Amino acid sequence: MSIAKTLAIRGATLVGVLFAVLVMVVVTLGATGFSDRMLTAIVNEEVRGLRQGLAQTIRDADRLEAALRDHRQELEASYGLDRPWYSRLPQMIGRVIRLDLGEARTLKTAEGSSSITALLRERLPRTMMLVTTASFITACLGLFFGVKLATRVGSRSDRVASLFAATSNALPAWWAGILLILLTYVILSTFGVRVFPPGGMYSAPPPEGGLPRLLDLLWHAALPVITLTLISVGSWTYVVRTMVMNTAQEDFVTVARAKGLPESAVMRSHILRVAAPPILTGLILGLASSVGGAILTETVFNWPGMGRLYYDAILSVDESVVVALTFMFTLIYVTARFTLEVLYIVVDPRVRYS
Amino acid sequence: MRERLRATLSELLTSTTGKVGVAFLAVMVLISIYALTANPVDFGDRLWNNPAAWADNPKNVPPAWTGLFQSTRPVTHSVLEATEPTETRESTRFVERVYALDLDFPYDEAPTFTSFSLEDVTYQERPPSVSLEVARPDGRTVSLYRLAVPAPRAGESPPYSRYESTPFRVHLTGEPSVAGEAAAFLREEFGAGAQGGSLIGRVDEAVFGTPDAASESGFRPLQGEYRVLVTARFRDEADSIGRVRFVVGGSQFGLMGTDSLGRDLARGLVFGFPVALTIGLLTAIMATVIGTTLGIISGYTGGKTDIGIQRFSDVLSNIPLLPILLFLAFILGQKLWIVIAILILFGWPGMTIVIRSMVLQVRSGQLVEASAALGASRWRIMLRHIFPQMAPFVFAQMIFFTPAAILAEAGLSFLGLGDPSIPTWGQILDQGFRTGAVYVGYWWWVFPPGLLIVLTALTFVLIALGMERVVDPRLRTVRQ
Repeated sequence: MSIAKTLAIRGATLVGVLFAVLVMVVVTLGATGFSDRMLTAIVNEEVRGLRQGLAQTIRDADRLEAALRDHRQELEASYGLDRPWYSRLPQMIGRVIRLDLGEARTLKTAEGSSSITALLRERLPRTMMLVTTASFITACLGLFFGVKLATRVGSRSDRVASLFAATSNALPAWWAGILLILLTYVILSTFGVRVFPPGGMYSAPPPEGGLPRLLDLLWHAALPVITLTLISVGSWTYVVRTMVMNTAQEDFVTVARAKGLPESAVMRSHILRVAAPPILTGLILGLASSVGGAILTETVFNWPGMGRLYYDAILSVDESVVVALTFMFTLIYVTARFTLEVLYIVVDPRVRYS
Repeated sequence: MRERLRATLSELLTSTTGKVGVAFLAVMVLISIYALTANPVDFGDRLWNNPAAWADNPKNVPPAWTGLFQSTRPVTHSVLEATEPTETRESTRFVERVYALDLDFPYDEAPTFTSFSLEDVTYQERPPSVSLEVARPDGRTVSLYRLAVPAPRAGESPPYSRYESTPFRVHLTGEPSVAGEAAAFLREEFGAGAQGGSLIGRVDEAVFGTPDAASESGFRPLQGEYRVLVTARFRDEADSIGRVRFVVGGSQFGLMGTDSLGRDLARGLVFGFPVALTIGLLTAIMATVIGTTLGIISGYTGGKTDIGIQRFSDVLSNIPLLPILLFLAFILGQKLWIVIAILILFGWPGMTIVIRSMVLQVRSGQLVEASAALGASRWRIMLRHIFPQMAPFVFAQMIFFTPAAILAEAGLSFLGLGDPSIPTWGQILDQGFRTGAVYVGYWWWVFPPGLLIVLTALTFVLIALGMERVVDPRLRTVRQ
């Protein structure tokens, strides 16, 4: 199988995922009557805007109402509100893909815009910053400790690490976050020192100037990043350790050692090189939970990213925002997944040449 | 197959992690059985979410056992009740019945609140009147409250009954007339110039203390034997009161403390056990049954069926669960069975993919080929020859899947999308988080539910770890 074909199949599957989610979202919205309500809200919004404009030119109240009624019918026809929901499916899918879902009901960006696209554009970088920083730190720590532990399997530190990995499998990130917040409160009330802020992204008011602002941001990001790292580093270390350990028992490693290669070279170019693809698979599998998990972690730390936006959208019962975010989360996941698949092909020659 | 499962179980019980896991599970099952027998089935609707059921509990107070670590003696929550009068006085015009409630008060602080309730009053002709007094250890008596039971309405016929289904209840601490009475008591007995208004919310400090300018609140707690006297004055011999109740609000409550509505958290936490186990096990069993069936069919049949099932499960298993779960729970409504159905829907594909890859190995084995040569049908081969070889692995996968379902539901509940009629640990955490309990250090509200979620998930992780050696025999030799 050529690279192109492999990639095409993986790509097709992931596009299938995106499409399946879209269809599921749209059909659920249509069948439960939510899409009718969403579109009606958009029409009402437009008619209201029009009323203000027309009231300047048309003085006669009856004529104004008649003009508005005509316009409303036109709008309803163009949005497909006069037809049953299933005939609107393609149109609705198109709207979700373009994120053309109108305005959020109460949520606003820092500049005061309530357009859903603007909201997402503001929140997305913040989430990415949090998740990528935590993933990067986790990956580095995991590789470092995993390789270390693989050389001393069965030792006390190995057993402690295994137990830690098992425990962190059962530990939800959001509760770990709550515990850390509780801990900072205890430290604050006993010693009077605020080690970390309980939430948010900047102090209120945010400090002036570039460097103090950046430091303030880092201070606020520390606790969520620590939480995310703490709960995923255990299982990540365990994956690396097991993969390296399995590879280290292979014959070619013994041969490499017999050739008299230094241990560091054996580890780097013989063991890690071969163990890399399955380690990457572990990273791919861990991605799903970390992307979705941002919803919970950001909620706990009041981090104003997409996850917190999701929570706020649920609290304010804003279905348009919920739909847009569900799509965005799937899109991010699928994109990241595909990037890793490409990387996998680069790393694993067996996929390339078989 | 039965022998295989038995071997699996005995292997599980030889490992330490397996033993600990099974012991945890046994404790959880016992607590669940207790929770289901001790609580009504509609516990959520009838008790947990009904503020009237918790009105007489103190709000936001830590567990009772925290008093052991304090230097001052905190108030123990006590409910004083009487159904029979202790004394009856008769005159020509009235029958007076006195309900005396004894209260030992050795505490170093005033109660957090006091309340008085009256239940089930019946009268023949004219309504009775009820008065409430507190006799203090220093010989003084405070008159706190007077109640005239409502008179008959037009069209009613005797005997008239009042406060039958919903008791009459007065929150003495916040009642302005009580504050006025307490202020009058202070003026008469101590000559202190306390204003009525300033005593609202602080009545208990005056009733259970003596004025003391040196102390911060202006009162010093008065320890000793108190007697709460409820005097009912009836016009007719046959009139009666069902029950009188006086509540001294503690600064601590129960095994696990209370939340901002005064709910006994211990009861909510106990009720969470059967719910969590049901969610985890039901989801895991259903997902495993569907996943295994389709995996075996897919692996053994091959061809178009195989490709179809594999493509479908590939797509489903790649969907990020939490956003979709949130979306569906948000749109379809917060019902526990919907959540379980969604978790099953997205849970089986992963199982199918793994089982299929194992079937591919077994399929070409001699056992299966021999049966096929003997003319066994495909269903018979799948059921009698392939499935038994997978059984321990399938069982391990099921256990492994259980914590994921429990954690997913907890996360959903924490985001406020839990089923409100069935209290879960995630919901208790959600309420604690939303009312800001985390930021003011109400640890008894947010720590225990999370710990129970983790312990439950950990139980299944430990059992799964204990089964690892059954599933992967290579590991048996690694451990030395």
